[in-house]
Amino acid sequence: MGDRVRRVREARTEPAVDVGAELMQRVARGDEAAFEQLYDLLIGPVFGLVRRIVRDPAQSEEVVQEVMVELWRSAARYAPEKGSATTWAMTLAHRRAVDRVRSAQAATDRDEAVGRRDIGRPFDEVAEQVTARLEQEQVRRCLRTLTELQRESVLLAYYGGRTYREVGELLDTPLGTIKTRLRDGLIRLRDCLGVA
Amino acid sequence: MTADIHALTGAYALDAVAGNERSEFERHLAECESCAQEVRELRDTATRLALAATADPPPALRGAVLDQIKTVRQLPPETTVVPMRRRDRSPLAQRLTSIAAAVLFIAAAALGIVVYQQGQQLDETRAQAAEMSDILRAGDVQVLTLDKGAEGRMTVAMSRSADRMVLLAEDLPNPPAGKDFQVWSDQDGKMVSEGLLTPSNGEALLAISGFGDAKGIGVTVEPAGGSATPTLPTVMAVELPA
Repeated sequence: MGDRVRRVREARTEPAVDVGAELMQRVARGDEAAFEQLYDLLIGPVFGLVRRIVRDPAQSEEVVQEVMVELWRSAARYAPEKGSATTWAMTLAHRRAVDRVRSAQAATDRDEAVGRRDIGRPFDEVAEQVTARLEQEQVRRCLRTLTELQRESVLLAYYGGRTYREVGELLDTPLGTIKTRLRDGLIRLRDCLGVA
Repeated sequence: MTADIHALTGAYALDAVAGNERSEFERHLAECESCAQEVRELRDTATRLALAATADPPPALRGAVLDQIKTVRQLPPETTVVPMRRRDRSPLAQRLTSIAAAVLFIAAAALGIVVYQQGQQLDETRAQAAEMSDILRAGDVQVLTLDKGAEGRMTVAMSRSADRMVLLAEDLPNPPAGKDFQVWSDQDGKMVSEGLLTPSNGEALLAISGFGDAKGIGVTVEPAGGSATPTLPTVMAVELPA
């Protein structure tokens, strides 16, 4: 039992989840067993990502379920030439989570007629805390190679689901600087992680 | 491309660009291959952040999702074959002129279309895949190409011994309203219909078998649904080698 738990943890810290084009093809053809495999490969990161962005447990679950069903529904639209299936799935999950918090945010802004953008959204974790909780040593290590401002911007945008304009307001930094910081930060992260 | 819009690649890869600015950047991406490539790489990088955020989901979710998909109809594939077209125009593709390369190209193109059409017209797709493999297995495969510029390009891979061919049309404009493209083989001066060619985003693929000693193959514009004999103008035609 102890052994099994450890193996599962180890498997989780593999740097990449490789879905593979062949599995996607089977899912696209309506193969439910293939979809179960896809689910098991992706549910951990999809759930973790959505939960970080949406925060509310019930809403996170709703979004995760939507995302997984959408992966099934649109599997045939996945084009291997445009990138890995894992990135396709994570991009979809991120987009859905962000849509959910942004529409909730818009509703809150309307209801309460408040100008402050962060009202109605859970308080953002300090970037350091987020970094410390990351499971992957390599990602953690590479995030440390970013400047503090790059790291803060990237984490607020990605895990916080913030637009770069919001990041600019939150960090009280001009938009041009934020754009550059997000790009430079990601490029540094890309090179450190060895993403092709 | 202004430096300013290029700097948005990072924000865009993180879904941090909203509204009109996002649509504007997406239009820019469609025309800027280096930006698109950078976005792909930065998205892969962002994916690593997602993988690092892995958490244990509630166990009940699995059953809920697996139950739900049984009631959800899957979307048909999009029949755009944009990446193939892009590959075709790359300098490398332009240099590949040997028959072998052309055969590989048409096989890849056909398979690309086959993959995209899966689930939609599975039987037809299987038949096309069978045609391709028969043609490729035959020892006497020949490849013909015809480039009519704005009117489209046509590539034919054929085997006389297998009596099969695959016709691939690219950059084909849509037929006029109420018209269809129809394919004919020239059998001793008699035009025999080989079926309709329906372009999707300018691409169309037709597998033809049993054309015997046909001397040529051509495409004409016909009233919707096709005609018994060719009437309207010829869009493309090639002579077939013996």
